[in-house]
Amino acid sequence: MTSSAPKPPRGHFSILYFASAGSFTGRDSESLPAPLALSKLFSELETRHPGFKAKILDSSLVTVNLDYVDVPGEGEEGPVIQEGDEVAIIPPVSSG
Amino acid sequence: MDKIENLKREIAQREAELQDLRKQLAEAEAETPSVENGRDTTTSQSGGEGWKWPLEEHEYERYSRQMIVPNFGLQGQLNIKNAKVLLVGAGGLGCPAAAYLAGAGVGTLGLVDGDAVEVSNLHRQVAHSTARVGMMKVDSAVAYLQGLNPTITYRAHATHLTPQNAEGIVSQYDLVLDCTDHPTSRYLISDICVLLSKPLVSASAFQTSGQLIVLNSPPGKGPCYRCVFPKPPPPESVVGCGEGGIVGPVVGVMGVLQALEAIKLLVRGDHRRLKNAPADGTEEDVKQVGMLLFSAMADMPFRTVRMRGKRQGCFACGGGDGSALTLTELKTSLDYVQFCGINEPVKLLRPEERISVAEYERIAREKRAHVLLDVREKEHFELCSIPGSVNVPISRFTARREGAELEDLIPGGFAVLPPDAPIYVVCRVGNDSQIAARKLKDWGLDRDGERFIGDVFGGLRAWKDGVDPSLPFI
Repeated sequence: MTSSAPKPPRGHFSILYFASAGSFTGRDSESLPAPLALSKLFSELETRHPGFKAKILDSSLVTVNLDYVDVPGEGEEGPVIQEGDEVAIIPPVSSG
Repeated sequence: MDKIENLKREIAQREAELQDLRKQLAEAEAETPSVENGRDTTTSQSGGEGWKWPLEEHEYERYSRQMIVPNFGLQGQLNIKNAKVLLVGAGGLGCPAAAYLAGAGVGTLGLVDGDAVEVSNLHRQVAHSTARVGMMKVDSAVAYLQGLNPTITYRAHATHLTPQNAEGIVSQYDLVLDCTDHPTSRYLISDICVLLSKPLVSASAFQTSGQLIVLNSPPGKGPCYRCVFPKPPPPESVVGCGEGGIVGPVVGVMGVLQALEAIKLLVRGDHRRLKNAPADGTEEDVKQVGMLLFSAMADMPFRTVRMRGKRQGCFACGGGDGSALTLTELKTSLDYVQFCGINEPVKLLRPEERISVAEYERIAREKRAHVLLDVREKEHFELCSIPGSVNVPISRFTARREGAELEDLIPGGFAVLPPDAPIYVVCRVGNDSQIAARKLKDWGLDRDGERFIGDVFGGLRAWKDGVDPSLPFI
């Protein structure tokens, strides 16, 4: 993370990439079109960053507006990410 | 060489003697009235007849600055004094955490670590020292802590925590700090804390990031590590500080924050709340659990995310329904190494697609047209590299989107090469080099076999072993 996330443009939400999620994508944050069903988040991110799901997302914690969320499986009902929301991908850091 | 060995042995022996002397001194001081500063202390002998205060005299002096802080008070100090705290790991997190807990007067401080001090630890593991390189970390840390506060009890467990010894060690303590460096130990420590009803302060740090969370607090109520991270990261993505690096103050700040959470918990007395104790019939004692995220390079370096409580159906804590892991299962049938996965060597290239360091050395010496790509990250490349190699970090291969311009991948582009000039790929030990070579082939740069693309078997480590022993760092 080299800076805090810029405010997402109209019709978008911002997504923050912590620790190894940032190294994998090569960025700290980006803006994605909103609204987006939370259940579609991982497949949307996998399209943008091939390999992201298996290597990082499946073992990460996900928050929306700083609140922990359970990401529903593809096709399941679930919350929808809205314009202006801030999503965070938080992989476990294990070293010390 | 003999002289060096003898000196090292002698230093180790004197360190051990010193440690023993410090221990004797601490015991003697605890029994005898202080005569420091020439004061006559016979009338105020701590614990002796006539002494009517709950703490010993020297403790009022040593701990006064924290005791007078609002809401800390005498009771807070007594809680700390009566507590037994275990730190698993005496490294980058454990050293600062232990220093502050010892300074604060935790009655019994235990340390678990099976490693010895190395020179590369010293930039962040502040309890160790150059003179104690080679000594067990727990002994080195206790020597430092004795110097800081000789009036409390230290227990050194010079071993790694295992499913077999975890119960015996952890059951001696009231509170545990996870200061370890691998997913296997993080799951084991969380599981044993759930089973023995110990609150757990868990911190971690890598490169410029850190995380901190208080788990299983109060015991049986708060979420455990598995509730937060039910699935371990894939083993190939687990990189230690030795390979990925760590900035000293980043892990330092996490260890200090970990000590702070421990002190807060002890002062409040949370460690003595019994599992499933009726909390006045209310649930309000389960506080909102937050995970602190530290990103050292960000404009907003600290963020806290709100966690949910226990995860329904959690493998370890059962998420409320009471069924879950048992101590016997943990000891006999849980394989943490298997659960977290074993990092198998990459096998993406066939033997004929790989060349040895000796072969590459000959190709370079004979000045045959070729390019050697070094796919380590640029910070590694800057420290040492094979002459003539070009640095293209592996992250640029994995981050490349389908259809992106290939010519941008290397400086000057592949077009400057003769179409049949081979491309060799090298990395640290020979895993990433295979991934990169495979991708170059998949992207068609081998021109249907006209050009050889392969990797250097064993990477820079093999180059150091077989060609140039002067390489300073791998």
